[in-house]
Amino acid sequence: MFTKNTFKPACALVLTSLVLSGCASKIENVQGKPSVYEDVSTTGSVGGVGIESQDVVAMTDQMMRDMLANPMLTGRSTPPRIIIDNEYIKNESTSVINTNMLTDRLRIELNRAANGRMVFVGRHFSDMVQKERDLKRDGAVDGGTIRQTAAQAGADFRLGGRISSLDAIDRNSGTQSRYSQVTFEMVDLELGTIVWSGLYEMRKAARDNVVYR
Amino acid sequence: MKTLIKSMATAAVCLGLLSGCATQSASSTDLIERTAPITMNSVAFTDYNLKRTYSRGFGQLEDGERYRLSLVQHGQRPTATGTTEVYVVLRNHTDYDYRIEARTQFFDQDGVPTDVKPTWQRSTIPANSIATYRELSTTTQPLQYRVEVRELN
Repeated sequence: MFTKNTFKPACALVLTSLVLSGCASKIENVQGKPSVYEDVSTTGSVGGVGIESQDVVAMTDQMMRDMLANPMLTGRSTPPRIIIDNEYIKNESTSVINTNMLTDRLRIELNRAANGRMVFVGRHFSDMVQKERDLKRDGAVDGGTIRQTAAQAGADFRLGGRISSLDAIDRNSGTQSRYSQVTFEMVDLELGTIVWSGLYEMRKAARDNVVYR
Repeated sequence: MKTLIKSMATAAVCLGLLSGCATQSASSTDLIERTAPITMNSVAFTDYNLKRTYSRGFGQLEDGERYRLSLVQHGQRPTATGTTEVYVVLRNHTDYDYRIEARTQFFDQDGVPTDVKPTWQRSTIPANSIATYRELSTTTQPLQYRVEVRELN
């Protein structure tokens, strides 16, 4: 069936195809240079049982999306006025965290994403606004270019919430476990009813001696 | 001569069959997922330890596949306020709980990335069980999506 003349080219062809198949992949699958910057939405090189950047990002992102899907907040013909600050956010947990990190990120991301479906009242800037209003009314400065109103904006809803935790330590291994629960509630500022609620919970265990500041 | 050719042919066939049984590691550059085109309304395992497919070589009709998790179903539906909800049901085929994180990138009908920056959301899939990952968009326009799943570090 095969002659010597056909066998030799066949062998050469097989050998060539084997050599070429060694150069087939173009992907260089190696790790990049190490960096001091880390992605805020993922677990970093230093990690413990407390509330960390990836938790702040994940929980505020989740709450923002959930609020925008709530018809009580975004399904109204007139956009509701909302206050989101840390005035009524209580940290009753053992985690050290500046609650402004939660409310600031939530307010800013929500304001950017809502695109007019919600109006945010900057109550934490009210003294700044009042000072300027007083200067305008005293005639020390002119009236500006926008408009004059009888008073600063009143709000329809305000965010409240609580951070609580439950700790457990294994004395033999030194492993620490912490269950953290963060609640967010949007309160009707006339009626006192809660029109939206959000819950973020997690449990972490670690042996690393991480100090949060 | 005939005997030599027959032996070589038999060896080649055996080698081909055996290479079909060989598995590719998650770090292999020959995995199909590494160069697969990006498709809309899809779910991708970006951690190839969770799921990977690879060509089994000459003579093998089906691609090789190794997986710990698999996709049961996925889809989208509008919410009461007109935003989009994406859901993905994942199945854990192992005897161990798997902690994963997933994120959703939204695209408009022209394929342009839209909505806010996607964020990894963590979830646990119990051993030999299923779990559902949900994500909501922030805009009310019709959207396409691509969900990425990886194991939590």
